[in-house]
Amino acid sequence: MSISLDILKDRHNPYRLTVMISAAAMIAALTLIYFGILPARDRLDAARKEIGQAKSRLVSMQAAIGGTDRQRQKTDSVRAAHQKLLSAGLLTPLLGSYAMRGKQLLDPIAREAGFIIDGVKELPSQPIRLPAPPPEQLYARQPVEFTGRGAYTQIVAFVKLTETSLPLATLSSIKILGQPQTPEKHKALIAFEWPAVGEKRQPAAKAKDK
Amino acid sequence: MKASLHFNLIRKEEILSPSPVRLRVMLPILSLLLVAALAVWWMLALTRAHAANQKLAAVNAEIESLSRSHQTVLSLCAEEKELSASLRQIGFYTNALTRFGGLLSGLPEHVPADIQITELYVPPPAPPPAPAPMPGVKAAAPTSTFECVSLRLAGRAGGDAPADAVDSLLTALRKPDFTNLIVRAAVPPGAFRQEAARGQGNRNTLLFEIQCDCVPRRFE
Repeated sequence: MSISLDILKDRHNPYRLTVMISAAAMIAALTLIYFGILPARDRLDAARKEIGQAKSRLVSMQAAIGGTDRQRQKTDSVRAAHQKLLSAGLLTPLLGSYAMRGKQLLDPIAREAGFIIDGVKELPSQPIRLPAPPPEQLYARQPVEFTGRGAYTQIVAFVKLTETSLPLATLSSIKILGQPQTPEKHKALIAFEWPAVGEKRQPAAKAKDK
Repeated sequence: MKASLHFNLIRKEEILSPSPVRLRVMLPILSLLLVAALAVWWMLALTRAHAANQKLAAVNAEIESLSRSHQTVLSLCAEEKELSASLRQIGFYTNALTRFGGLLSGLPEHVPADIQITELYVPPPAPPPAPAPMPGVKAAAPTSTFECVSLRLAGRAGGDAPADAVDSLLTALRKPDFTNLIVRAAVPPGAFRQEAARGQGNRNTLLFEIQCDCVPRRFE
């Protein structure tokens, strides 16, 4: 150090200019590297990385768009199957009452079977097991209890006719009680259940946001 | 005594290196060349970064132009997934349908004349067991796939051999006519007893109960 300082102090030293130019050049080179080249390379690397991600996203989007027609057909067929199943036997409330809808559905069947319906009662719904992944719109089992009278054959005919004409209705519970005063007529409490629209589930992402 | 005398007639700055390349000249030149090379490198890196940014903007613009069509496909996929999941859930229900009509209509043929059925009972399904509580998670539906179904017959048996009549009914319930629905039929302990409440004339009348375990409903 003392040598270089001596050189710089000595105006007639021929190495003075060499050292000064070299030092200035070194400072300029380091400045260029740290403040120019390295940040520019970082920007370039980041941009390349982003381009790679964007390109892969673009490719996947193009592939998905290419299969639009196939996806539309698939969705349409699933939608048709779903609609068919629901129209076949989904229980919808009649003016807010599942009991009245059940009565509306089973009154003609009871008349045909000769079973007399005295009362209808809506029972609490029960959830159906969830598939994985679960749907947002859940369905539940909705039982409706019918109280009535009839001969055993009429009660059985009512059950059989209901099972055949309403494919998604199933016997949930039945109690046939013999009446001592009328041995030919029995009292029956029959509950049928249907699938019905249940509650709507919050998707996981939305639930997390809240 | 001889002594040699040395005269140095050349000045220090007049001494020339034997090497044709002089460090005094080459060092600044090399330093400046290095700076120039670094500047070129910097410019090159800046140009490349700019080009990359332009390319990224172009790809993003293309993505933006396709986003509407892509959104359509995504919504179709989401709808298909939702409907498929609903179908699977309703499928669990349809797979668990139980038909009692055949059993009920076939039952009278197998009831002996000495037996009077006073009650036929299929109890409602038990409420699903409460799932293990998890903090912050509301259970939407049971995870159980299995639901027990049972049938209880209660009645009176009279005649000369009421026990035989009950046994005959029990045997009939274990026949193939019913085994598609009934897996086990038995008289529970203490359920076959004398009807004491109805007075002297009915001493031979016996009360009975038959408990049947039916094929469980499988929500699978």
